[in-house]
Amino acid sequence: MAPPAAPGPVSVGIANLPNQRHKIVSRKGASYNIMVVGESGLGKTTFINTLFSALMRDYKRPEQRFAKQLDRTVQIDVVRADIEEKGFNVRLSVIDTPGFGDYANNTDCWVPIVQFLDEQHQHILNHETVPNRKTDDLRVHACLYFIQPTGHTLKPLDIEVMKHLCTRVNLIPVIAKADTITPADMLAFKDRIRDCISTHNIQVFTPAVHSEDEDATRRNTSILAAMPFSVIASENDVQVNGQTVRGRQYLWGVAEVENEAHCDFKKLRNLLIRTHMHDLITTTHDHHYETHRVAKLTASGRSDDDPALQARRGFEAKMKEEEAELRKKFTEQVRLEENRFRQWEQKLISERDRLNEDLDKQHSLVKQLEEELEEIIAARKR
Amino acid sequence: MASSGASFKSGGARRKATKKGLIFTVMIVGASGCGKSTFINTLCENPVILRKDHADAEKAAQLKTVGLAPTTVELDEDGLKLSLTVVDTPGFGDNINNEPAFEDILGYIEHQYEEILAQESRIKRNPRFQDNRVHVLLYFIQPSGHSLREMDIEFMRLLGARVNVIPVIGKADSMTPQELNAFKKRIMEDISHYKIPIYDFPYDEEEDDEETIEENNELRGLLPFSVIGSEDEVVINGRRVRCRQYPWGVVEVDNSKHCDFSKLRYMLLSSHLHDLKDITHDVLYETWRTEKLSKEGHQDDDSGEEQ
Repeated sequence: MAPPAAPGPVSVGIANLPNQRHKIVSRKGASYNIMVVGESGLGKTTFINTLFSALMRDYKRPEQRFAKQLDRTVQIDVVRADIEEKGFNVRLSVIDTPGFGDYANNTDCWVPIVQFLDEQHQHILNHETVPNRKTDDLRVHACLYFIQPTGHTLKPLDIEVMKHLCTRVNLIPVIAKADTITPADMLAFKDRIRDCISTHNIQVFTPAVHSEDEDATRRNTSILAAMPFSVIASENDVQVNGQTVRGRQYLWGVAEVENEAHCDFKKLRNLLIRTHMHDLITTTHDHHYETHRVAKLTASGRSDDDPALQARRGFEAKMKEEEAELRKKFTEQVRLEENRFRQWEQKLISERDRLNEDLDKQHSLVKQLEEELEEIIAARKR
Repeated sequence: MASSGASFKSGGARRKATKKGLIFTVMIVGASGCGKSTFINTLCENPVILRKDHADAEKAAQLKTVGLAPTTVELDEDGLKLSLTVVDTPGFGDNINNEPAFEDILGYIEHQYEEILAQESRIKRNPRFQDNRVHVLLYFIQPSGHSLREMDIEFMRLLGARVNVIPVIGKADSMTPQELNAFKKRIMEDISHYKIPIYDFPYDEEEDDEETIEENNELRGLLPFSVIGSEDEVVINGRRVRCRQYPWGVVEVDNSKHCDFSKLRYMLLSSHLHDLKDITHDVLYETWRTEKLSKEGHQDDDSGEEQ
C-alpha cells in the first residue's frame, strides 16, 4: 500500500520569530556596560564622550589635583546614563578606573579591576537561586584597554593586565591618541602589538567573520584587520573645506575623528554599537559568565553527575582495586611455591648423581677384585 | 650667575677653547616612547642612537633594568668645537615598579662626583682626567595633557638637588596649541607647588645686563620646552626640512611656531652652556661634596682633627 502523500510546504509563521524578538527587545531595551582601562591622560574620557555624542563624564578638574588621595589605589567609577535613539532605549553604564598605572610602583594595580569583574559575575550567580531574580546587571560587556602610543611595543604592565582581563571579559585593545603616530609607524606598531598579543596568548575579542551577508563579511574582515584600533577623540567641531567635522585643530592641519584615513574610530564605533553590540552582550553571558560559573561550582565540589551514579562508580572503582590486590597476592604465592619445588628438584638430582657415582665406584672396585682373583687363579694353575 | 654666549671668551682663552674643544654632558631621562632617542638624533643631526629592535615579543614582558649608555659626538657650533656626550637611559619607567630605577640614575650622577673628588684628593693628579659630570638632565614628560605624574614629581625632586634638571614635553605634536599652553601652565604650577628644584634660567638683577635678563625671562616663560623630533628630511618648497608627515599636515621640527626645539638647542649648546657647567661645578658639586664629607665625619676645624 502506498504511503499517504506528504503535505506540501505550508507557511506556519515560524519565520516571524525574529520580528517578535525585535518587538520584545525594543520594548525591554538593553543594558550595556563598557569599561575603560588605561593610564590617565590617554583620552579615555574624551573617547567615551565622543562615542555617544553626549557628555557622559566630566573631565578631571585640574584644580583638584593637589587634593587627591595619596593612598595609591585604583578606584572603580560607574557612570550611568539612559540613551534613546528612534524609540529604542539603552541603559548605558560606563566604568572608569582612575588611578590605574599612574604611580611609580604599579604592582597589583589590576587587582581591584579583576575583583570588580569577578564580583559582577558572582552577583549574578548568587541570584540564580534566589526567589526574586531581577537584579541590576553590571557585568561588563566590553572592556577597552587603552595603549599608550609609544610606537614601540606593549609595556610589561599592558601584557600583565591584559592577561588577567581577557579571561574574564571581552577585551578590545585600543591605541589612544593616534594622531601622534605617522601612518607608516602606525602599521608597524599595530603589527608588533598583534605579535605580542599572540605570543603571550592573550584572547582579545574577535568578531566572527563569516555571515550570510556579503557586505557583513567584508566589513568584519576589515574590522579584524584593523585591530588594535587606533583612535583620535575630540568633542570640538572644526571647519574643514567648508564642512563642520569633529576633529583636533593643529597649526599644521586638522586631524579628523571620523576620517577612516586618519584613525579607526568609525570602525570601533560600529563594532561597539552598530554591528556587534548584541554579540558582545551574548558572549559575555554565554562564554565569560559560564566560565566563571563552571570554575566556581567545580571548586565547591559539585559535578554534573547523578549522586547514585557517582556512588556506583565509586563502588566499582573500589572493587577493581581489591581485585588487583588479590591477583597480586596470588601470583606472589605461586612464585614462592615454584621456587620451593625447583630447589627440591635440584636436591634430588644432586642426590641421585651422588648415589650413581658411589655405585660406579663400587662397580669398579668389584671389577678390580675380580681381575685380581682371576690373576691369582691363573697364577696358581701354572 | 652671569649667563653669556660662547663669545665672551676673549683672545687667549678662546684660542685654547677652540683647540681643545668644550666638553658638555647631557643626560636624557624619560619613559619609553617619549621621543628621547629621536630627540638625541635630531639634536646631534646624526643617527647617534640606533633604533631599538622591538620585534621580540617575548622580551616585551620582561623586567628591564635601566641602561646608562653614554655616546660622544663632536659638534661644531659657530666655529667652536664641542664634544657633546649624551647619556641615554633606555628602560626607565618601563617596568611595573619603577622606583628602583631612580636610585640607579642618581647613583650614576653621584659616581661621577665621587670620581672628581677622588681625583682632587690625589697627591699627583692626572692632567688628562676626563670630567664626566652630567651638566644638565633633560626630563621628558609624557604629553598627557593633564599634569605631572607621581613618577615625574618624585624623580625630579630627587635629582634636582644633584643636577640641573630641565623638564621637556616630548611628542608635543599630540597637543593643540591651547592644550599645550594649558599643560605647560599646569606643569609649572605643579613644580612650584611641590617645590621641585629645576634649572629656571636664574639671573642676577643687579649684575646682568638688560639683554641677558630679557633672554632669561623669555626662556623661563617657555618652560617646559615642547619638542618634536624627526630624523626624516623632506623637500618642501625647494628647501630640505626636518619634519613629520601626517595625512592632515606636516609638522616642522625647526619651526619655532610648531615647537621649542630650536630654542632648546640654542640654549643648550650655545647660550647657556657655560652657565650650566658653572652651576654644576660651583653649586651642585660643592653641595654634594659638603654633604659627603660631613657625613664621613670631617670637620672644617683649623686644628685638623678628625672625629
